Order: sequence, then C-alpha cells, then structure tokens
Amino acid sequence: MISYLVFFACIVLILSLLTLGLNLQWGFTGLFNAGVVGFYAIGAYTHAILTASPQPQYLGNFGLPWLVGVLAAMAATALAGWLIGLVTIRLRGDYLAIATFGVAVSIQLVTLNWEPLTGGSQGLTRIGKPFAQLFETPFGFNLWFLGLMIVILGTTYWALDRVLLSPWGRVLKAIREDETAAVALGKSARRFRLEAFVLGSTLMGLAGALYVSFIGFVSPFDFLPIVTFQVWAMLIVGGSGNNRGAVLGALVVWGIWAGSGVAVTKLVPPSRAAQGAAIQVILIGLLLVLVLLFRPRGLIGEAAVVSRHVND
Amino acid sequence: MERRGRSAVVSAVALVAGVLAAAPAAAQTCPVKIGGVLPLTGSMAPITKKIAQAAELAIEHVNAGGGVKGCPVQFILRDDQGQPTVGVDAAKYLVEVERVPAFTGTISSGVTGPIIASVTAPSKVVQITCCSTASPFTLDGRSGGYFFRTIPTSKTQAYATASETARRGMKKTVVVYINTDFGTDMLRFYKAAVAKLGGEVIAEVPYNDNQPSYRAEVTKALAAKPESLLLIGFPKDAVTIVREWLSLGGTKSIALNNSMRTMDFVNGVGAKFVEDVFGMDNAQVAGPHVDAFNKAFEEKFQADTKGPGVHTQYDALMVMALAMNISKDLTGPSIKDAVRRVHVPNGTPVGTGPAEFKKAVELIKAGKPIKYFGATGPIEFDANGDVTGPALVWKIKDGQIVTDRSITIEDMQTLFKRVEN
Repeated sequence: MISYLVFFACIVLILSLLTLGLNLQWGFTGLFNAGVVGFYAIGAYTHAILTASPQPQYLGNFGLPWLVGVLAAMAATALAGWLIGLVTIRLRGDYLAIATFGVAVSIQLVTLNWEPLTGGSQGLTRIGKPFAQLFETPFGFNLWFLGLMIVILGTTYWALDRVLLSPWGRVLKAIREDETAAVALGKSARRFRLEAFVLGSTLMGLAGALYVSFIGFVSPFDFLPIVTFQVWAMLIVGGSGNNRGAVLGALVVWGIWAGSGVAVTKLVPPSRAAQGAAIQVILIGLLLVLVLLFRPRGLIGEAAVVSRHVND
Repeated sequence: MERRGRSAVVSAVALVAGVLAAAPAAAQTCPVKIGGVLPLTGSMAPITKKIAQAAELAIEHVNAGGGVKGCPVQFILRDDQGQPTVGVDAAKYLVEVERVPAFTGTISSGVTGPIIASVTAPSKVVQITCCSTASPFTLDGRSGGYFFRTIPTSKTQAYATASETARRGMKKTVVVYINTDFGTDMLRFYKAAVAKLGGEVIAEVPYNDNQPSYRAEVTKALAAKPESLLLIGFPKDAVTIVREWLSLGGTKSIALNNSMRTMDFVNGVGAKFVEDVFGMDNAQVAGPHVDAFNKAFEEKFQADTKGPGVHTQYDALMVMALAMNISKDLTGPSIKDAVRRVHVPNGTPVGTGPAEFKKAVELIKAGKPIKYFGATGPIEFDANGDVTGPALVWKIKDGQIVTDRSITIEDMQTLFKRVEN
C-alpha cells in the first residue's frame, strides 16, 4: 500500500510541474496553451534520446548521465517554446489555443514517424533513471525519486513564487488583466508574453524528462491530446492563478482518475468489468463537474492581491 | 481566503485517501488473486469487449476446474483507457495493493511498454499479454524474463520465409520493405534467419506507402544486381513495385509476405507474370482444444470467436493459472519458471475447458508433467517469452492462389530452435 502511495505521489508531483507550467502561462499571463503535451513530449524525448543505453538501430541513445538529460530536456523545450512562441504569441485566446494544439499534434506525429531517432511506435526503453542501480527494490527507488521530486518541485514552487511577486510577475498579471493598459504604461506585452511562454514550456519539458526517467520507457502514446486535457482539468479544479491550487489540482484530479478505477473494481462484479469501466469514465466527469459547481473558482482560487505599499 | 484554502486541501487529501483506503488488506490465502489490465474504454474498446469476455471465460473454467492450489481465483480487471499513465497506475495498484503475483495485459504496445519497464520487471511479477506484438519487449532480456505473450509476432513469418527461401535455394536477395515497425521487424528477423539457414541479403530498400511510383526504389534495388527479391508490404503498393521491377528487367524469383495473398495483387500485376512467385501466411490451428474453446465461448456469449486477441487472451490466463498450480509458491519468480513447464514435450496432453483444466490440476498434484494445447494450439514459449504459430506457403497456379505446403507448429518450433541457438 505504502509502495503504491509513493508511486502515486511521484506521478502527482510530476503532473504538478506540468500544471505549474500551465499556470504560469494561463493563470498568470492569460496565454491559452492547448499544446501542453507537445512540450512535455519534447522534454521526454530529449531526455530519452540522450540517456537511453546505446542500440545499433537508433541514431540517438547516447547513454549520457541522467542530469545531462534533464538539463538538455529543459534547454530543448525552452528553445522549442521560444521558436513556437515567436510565431504564435501574437495570436489571442482561441487562436493561440488552435495553433498550439496543432503544434502538439505535429510533435506527436514526428515522434511516431522519425523512427531512427525516436523508435517510432515501438518506443524507446532503458532510459536513464537517476541512480537506479543503487536500489535493489522498486520501492527504494520510488522513495528516493519521491524525495528528489519534492526537492525539485519545492525549488520550482519557491522560485515561481518569488518571480511572480517581482515586478516581472506583476507585469504578467497586468497583461492578463488589461493588455492595452500595460502597453500604455510602456511594457512590451509581446516580450513578457514570450518570456512567460518559454518559462512555462521549460517546466513542462522538465516534467517530461522526469516522467520518462521515472517510468523508464517512452512512446508516442504517452503524448496524446488527452494529457493536455488532464492538465487543464487539474489547473481549473485546483484554481488557476494560484500555484498552491495548481499542485492541489494535480493531486485531486489524478486522485479521482486513479481512485475511481479502484472504486469501480471494488463495487462492480468482475463479470461486469466492461460496464464498470464506462462507469469510471462517467464518475471522473461527474466529480470534475461537482468540484466546479461547488468551487467555481477552483479549490483554491487566486488570492486577492493588495499592494504591500497601500498603508505606506 | 487562507483558511478556506486550507480546509479545501484537507478535504481533498481526505477524499483521495478515503478512496485508496477502501481497498482491504491483501489476503494471503484464498481466494488467489489474478490481475488484468485492458483498455475497456477508449479507442480500443470495440475489440476489447470480446477479449475481456474471453478472459472472463478462462477464469470461469479455471474456477470450475479447481482453481489455483485449491483456492478459487479472483480476477481483478482494471481499465487502462488506452493511456500509458493510467495503465501503469492500474498495474502498480494491482501489484502493490492487491498483491497479485501475475497479471494479464494489455493491448496497445504503448501501454504495455511502460508497464514492463516500471512495474513488471522491477517488481518481479509475471505479465502475459494477449495482444502486444512490438518486438523490443522480449529482446535481450529487458523484461527480466517476466513478460510473455501468447500471440505470434512477425518473427514467426520472417523465420518461415527464410526457411522457404533457403529451401528454394534463393541467393543474392534484395529486400524491399515498407518502412513501418512491421516492415523493419520482418527485415531484421529475416536477416537473422537467413544467416543461419542459408542465403544472403545483398541490399535493403525501404519504401513509404501510397506513392504513385516506386521507380527510384526499384532502380536502387536492381543496382545491387540481385538474383531474387523479397518484397514486404501491402498489396496496393506491391502491385506498383512488382510491375516496375519486372518492366526494368528484374528477376521473376520473388518472395512475398502474407498481405499479398489476395487476388487484388495477382490480378493487379497480371497472373501470367507472377507464376514463379510464392508467399507466406499464418495458418489457422485446428483441433479439439480449439473447437472446445469456440463452442464454450459461443454458448456463453452468443457471439462467434472471430476477432483479434480472443483466443490468445484465453490462453494467456489458462497458462497463468496452470503455471500458478505448477509453481511451488505464488511468487513472481517461481511462477515465471513454471510458465515454461505448462507445455513439456513428454507431458500428458491437456486441452481447454473446465474438465481438461481439472485433469491438468490432478496431473500436477501427482507430480506429472503436462502439455497444454490451448485455443491457439500448443503453447510453448521460446527463450524470449514468445510463441510461434503454424504457417503456410502459397503460390499462384493457373491464375489462382493455392497452398503449396504447410509448416506445422512443431516444424516452426524446430525452426525457431535452429535460428536462435
């Protein structure tokens, strides 16, 4: 049981990183990124290609150390975010959503078809796990990975909090609330939007690298559009515009996703398993709707911000 | 705001913990738990319905035939929704919370792969799939020997093709193949087999499907001055390739894969031009053990057994239950070794259905070896955990496709041993 909970917690923390990245883009800057999974995929494949143990039939699989893979994954996603941002960032709202969605689908198709590099539909295996050889049992490794995730997520969370309280963070919110006003005050909306987009994408790339190094396998099926939907659900349920909400949303939504499956196997007789699975899908939808009915701004909505200098 | 936020955190944690705590502590004795992960919802759901029914039937037969070590079997089936993260979570839950020593699943290779890498191999539990055919799973021991499948992979066809090209004395072969996981797998296994059986691949030319012309590929293939051609692909493109091949002066000594066993191909090229070609295909197993399964399935579900994975899923669970009976204890490592003892050459033959399962359990109790003949025929795993199936060689005679000769499953198993040892 504990072993499962540790595993579950690792997945939640990885998903939290994705949600934090999206929160920076949507929650604070108002960028409608519907291609979350594309950046997740770039991070995941960069890490996999660099760290997987060598195979003659693949161009990549360099067998590099884990840390190199993680840093390169972040760099590659930042670069991809910058390039994609350059051409799409001026698009508003729904238009940006459609463009990013298209980009994510294209990235998934590239991973499916660029077989010499990505292994195509067969995927890449033996991906670098951090210090896995030191642990004899999967529980030991998962526990260590959980510790690592807590440090990484904690650092990210702290850094994001700092950065969002800084003048830079305030400009992001200003752009989200009223771009014209922000521009009138002499801020380059385009530059700030691009910066937030790149930073958010980098976090998604980091999440991708951590996910494949936790699981040890990657294939294009990991990056279907449903993942983007799940991350959005996490952010909205948790409360967009609030980093604590983003993390909580990841926990609650993934908890509902996994927990409903357990509930169904407990309550539905095995001969009705196929129908039970359909009930699970309905249950997930129902719980998400209920959360939003009772907490329309998410479980923890954005905190009202009053300037520290009000009483000066 | 602050306080409301905190209570929301607490209630959310309580919600998740409550759902997870609903699982009772794992039982050590009866009933014996077997897990299952299948895409019951999502894009695979239409084909999974019958597969899940086959699984249900297998569990019913096992329980009617005495269960595992005197205990009834409890089957815990989880849905992977065709999504890797969901599938991995489900498998992890089965192994860590329900403590199943073995489970069956799943269909999509994209879900099976991460389950092997993060659950099956590290936790040392047995996984038997009905349906995932991607070749890397069973290569060079990356599953630690804990992963098995009851579905023949493209290896079966590739080895059979190599044995036939060797038998016909085909030399200096150029391979033109479709650039997909199927094509690349076929090429790789064919090359490995001809190296042992005789013959030589002098050039490899990949092609992409749905092109109007393949002149560039054919020219490249002919430049190697081949004496024979092995073409791996699908009929529509193959017609174009073979026509261009013959018109540019290529040899008529051509070997083909299973997809070309259709009159669309023969008529597309022109029957008189393909009198010398031959091809391979998988053959259907027949026998009382197959009929018994078909009859039981049709009676219970009022539906035929046609469709992918139905027979192989039944065998996956029957093999698992037999192995659990043979195994000295219900731990992954023991069951893994026992899986290889469900089909022992000098064992007493046992088939499908509850009565045969009961017979098998009695033989096992008496310490006698068994030889399981399942819904897909004799189930004997090779070193990688793969099975083979029977094949046939077809040719074209008087404009019709006819069977040239059959390769029985026993011949195929001998062939596998020759190639892989």
